[in-house]
Amino acid sequence: MDEEVDKMTFEESLKGLEEMVRKLESGELDLDSSLQVYERAIALRDHCRRILDESERRVQKIMETSEGTERKDLPVSK
Amino acid sequence: MQTCAFVNDKSDDAHCPLMNETLTVTQLNTRARSLLVSSPGLNDVWVLGEISNFKRYGSGHSYFTLKDSGSEIRCAMFRQALSRIDFEPADSMKVTAFGHIDIYVERGSYQFVVETMKRSGVGELYAAYEDLKRRLEAEGLFDPARKRRLPVYPRVIGVVTSETGAVIHDIITTTGRRFPADILLCPAQVQGEGAAESVAAGIAVLNRAGVDVIIVGRGGGSIEDLWAFNEEKVARAIAASAAPVISAVGHETDFTIADLVADFRAPTPTGAAEIALRDRKEVAKQIDSLSLMLDRALMSAVGTMRSRFGMLDSKLSPRRAGDLVRTLSQELGALRGRADAALMRKTDRMGRGFYVLDAKLVPRRARDAVMQHQMKVADLSDSMAQAVSRMSEGRRRDLGFLSERLEALDHRRVLGRGYSYVRDPGGRVLSSVSQLAPGSGVEIVMRDGTARAAVESARRYSDG
Repeated sequence: MDEEVDKMTFEESLKGLEEMVRKLESGELDLDSSLQVYERAIALRDHCRRILDESERRVQKIMETSEGTERKDLPVSK
Repeated sequence: MQTCAFVNDKSDDAHCPLMNETLTVTQLNTRARSLLVSSPGLNDVWVLGEISNFKRYGSGHSYFTLKDSGSEIRCAMFRQALSRIDFEPADSMKVTAFGHIDIYVERGSYQFVVETMKRSGVGELYAAYEDLKRRLEAEGLFDPARKRRLPVYPRVIGVVTSETGAVIHDIITTTGRRFPADILLCPAQVQGEGAAESVAAGIAVLNRAGVDVIIVGRGGGSIEDLWAFNEEKVARAIAASAAPVISAVGHETDFTIADLVADFRAPTPTGAAEIALRDRKEVAKQIDSLSLMLDRALMSAVGTMRSRFGMLDSKLSPRRAGDLVRTLSQELGALRGRADAALMRKTDRMGRGFYVLDAKLVPRRARDAVMQHQMKVADLSDSMAQAVSRMSEGRRRDLGFLSERLEALDHRRVLGRGYSYVRDPGGRVLSSVSQLAPGSGVEIVMRDGTARAAVESARRYSDG
């Protein structure tokens, strides 16, 4: 399950988290499902936080060449 | 001063001794000047060209170059003339200038002195703008229903603009403070010949690169500078873009066609970056609040579960458990009181018996008898204490059991207590044997891992 969460985009992960909260709030789950839903929600939440706090962004330019496209990093002043 | 009519067909006529005359520089320039200013074809003429190198000095006079594809001429426009026109001349503007040719004798500079000027081609540009706007509007290209929603969390933002301008710089700086996304610039020529093609090609390149949203922009300028963004090629490229497009063409008054076709219009590149990406802190806050809701929902789910425990319910709710403890300890206290009272009565009786014996027995035997009784009392007292403690221990066990059951409801301990559950390969929790087909695969989830198992057989309780 964790591996699957790791591959998710932020949006998928956040959507999943909201869905889990909704499910748990419905109060219609038995204990086992509640716990499962909770564990998954925690995994999704942590994944969201990782993306938000740890992502390193790339700043590049793309140019068309005779062999297709070429990308080059652009300088970023911090 | 002699006049020389060397431009005249009759120049050979007598009084122009060309070969012998020597002129000063001043005389030369003066002579040239008077020839030019008196020439009707060079006076009070309209000249069509594009302004470049426009400079205005403290004196209020301005100097610039008018050019077309084949030639150029230096121009001077004096303060008074400038004050009479209704626009601010700027580079790359097309104008028709009215004036005369002159030579500034001191420098021998040949120039066109502009007395007034009109913007040229603007009428045509506006007409083209209105025409294209009407056509695209009829096609429904500006229809609000066509506007695509922007992705809330884009991973890659494409930018079509000049590589050297302030636009890309502002976008890189602003996006650095927002939700993390990659920036992919496709450098484009944003003004002049071929700009529309360059911008349109950039939009296509970024779409092929799979970006999530595209910002198309340039800084402010004259209508000619911005013209690429009023061309059909750019409008079509924006409309055909798979990724939503934000226009950021720097100008405040009129909308360009690109603004009208784009899914969003931002007043500045910084504004475009802010539209494209959410504020990082806001996103963090949203996750925190979801996390809080999650904990509350779990607590309330466990609470609901407690009340659903049917038979156990009365003993399991914390308030009831507290009542139970109070009842038990009261019982225990009463028990201890009764035990103490019983002991007291016994010793009292024995004591009285001893006095009776005392009279009859010799002191040594009497003392032995007392010691015997004392030992018996001590023994009795011990066994009584043991009984009491056995009893209270039993009660404690009951309580321990209850509190363990309470803890069992704490989700973190459920699996730790040897509790496990069974789910199907799809992850669905199974709660009935009717969901177990013999031979089907299931997964057993325990505290520290999962195990795959196959169902051999399933039997339903007759009363289930």
